[in-house]
Amino acid sequence: MLSEIVFYVNDKKTVFSGNPLTRLIDVLRDDLHLTGVKEGCGEGECGACSVLKDGKLVTSCIIPVGAVNGSHIYTIEGIRDTEKGKCIVDAFVEGGAVQCGFCIPGMVMAAYALLESNPHPDDEAIRQGISGNICRCTGYDLIVESIKLASERGGALWEK
Amino acid sequence: MGEMIYVPTTLEEALQIRKETGARPLAGGSDIMVQGKRGIGLCPELPYSVMIISGLDELKGITASEDGSVTIGALATPSEIASSSIVPWHVRKAASGMGAIALRNTATIGGNIGNASPKGDLPQPLILLDAYLVLASERGERTISVDDFIIGAKKTALMDDEIIKSVVIPHSSFTYSYYRKIGMRRANAISKLSLSAAMTVQNGEITDFRASSGAAGPKVIRSRSAEDIIRGRKIDEIPSLKEDFLSAWNDAISPHAMPEYRRHTTRRMLEYFLDEISRGAEPGIIGEE
Ligand SMILES: Cc1cc2nc3c(=O)[nH]c(=O)nc-3n(C[C@H](O)[C@H](O)[C@H](O)COP(=O)(O)OP(=O)(O)OC[C@H]3O[C@@H](n4cnc5c(N)ncnc54)[C@H](O)[C@@H]3O)c2cc1C
Ligand code: FES
Ligand code: FES
Repeated sequence: MLSEIVFYVNDKKTVFSGNPLTRLIDVLRDDLHLTGVKEGCGEGECGACSVLKDGKLVTSCIIPVGAVNGSHIYTIEGIRDTEKGKCIVDAFVEGGAVQCGFCIPGMVMAAYALLESNPHPDDEAIRQGISGNICRCTGYDLIVESIKLASERGGALWEK
Repeated sequence: MGEMIYVPTTLEEALQIRKETGARPLAGGSDIMVQGKRGIGLCPELPYSVMIISGLDELKGITASEDGSVTIGALATPSEIASSSIVPWHVRKAASGMGAIALRNTATIGGNIGNASPKGDLPQPLILLDAYLVLASERGERTISVDDFIIGAKKTALMDDEIIKSVVIPHSSFTYSYYRKIGMRRANAISKLSLSAAMTVQNGEITDFRASSGAAGPKVIRSRSAEDIIRGRKIDEIPSLKEDFLSAWNDAISPHAMPEYRRHTTRRMLEYFLDEISRGAEPGIIGEE
């Protein structure tokens, strides 16, 4: 039986000893002040709260912290200053993918997960990769273009 | 303030907690966390105790046995299932169509079956393939077919001291396979209607034929007596048997189980599968672009 949950957030060891049913998003935002993780629907439908758990895209609003013991979690704060993170963020800015910005941290995480597994996705694969991320502003086309740009610009970056 | 939440680290410990407290397993949490949702910044609350079983290694992994069967651990996610080359095609196909990527990385097969929602995507192909569950408790293990396990909408045969340990899919090899899900939206679409069908043909004789339909009623619909109309007959008899089969299939569905349009769509899909085969379709998957 675990009495505390030990996991890593953006490479920093985190020990949680409250109610294990606490949503991961609340630990990230309230305890760790990682407010780049956004809450839209709170039901796994919109992707605003997307983070990487052991390299895989998940929505942190439907994951209890008791399910992440031993895991490595990365949020937008943990990737945005890495080479790959910068590549995506720059492409989003240049490609005009951002309007109100609410969905963008989640979109960037989804793009990151996509390019990690498929360095040179076509349009269809990109749309699939962000299909769980809802944007109420842009109509997606510029986001898709920006991810394509990140794939081209990054080149070999995504292949390693 | 809520009920007890446990986080066991081994199956043995989990079974003990399950027996002593009746706490319900939480695997991926994608159903339970939404049910207990209270709002921003608030811990979900549930009217029952919960044990978070996500960390139990005994419930992970996908393995093939010598007899050709495949065992899928209860904690396997749709992503893992969809990308496993040893999982039968119908199940991979259904898993790959669940939700969007993040959901496929979180949900589990044990949770999909345990939740017993008529909208769940995995029971349908599992019932087509005669899959069964291994249920573990402190008393030992027992097996039960997925079809018998799911009693109705949100009702299962799980006992208070049991946990689903794995799903076993017996070996099968079909000449023709078909799977179709008609959802509401593209991503995170909960299944509205789905159909699997399969047929094995040897020297013109139909040695195996099955069909199952999901999200059409409280339970997945599979009619073995309707299947028997086609099984054992010759391929060139399909046109003359088709009507009998379709009407037997229709009779197997309780009158209130499906609205008329769903009944009609299911019928059209079954008809398409049979027509393609009697028209001499290439062996393999029917209806893939
Ligand atoms: C945004 C979103 C989209 C979705 N889209 C789909 C979809 O397209 N298709 C679909 O089928 N479903 C969908 N779902 C529903 C849900 O994701 C699935 O039912 C999922 O498989 C549940 O698995 P889980 O492990 O997350 O469930 P949990 O919430 O952990 O558990 C669900 C139920 O199963 C029981 N349970 C879990 N594991 C076990 C076990 N090992 N032994 C005994 N009982 C167990 C629990 O006690 C609970 O009653 C969606 C959900 C969300 C939030
Ligand atoms: S806030 Fe988590 S998916 Fe919408
Ligand atoms: S930019 Fe506003 S929601 Fe996407």
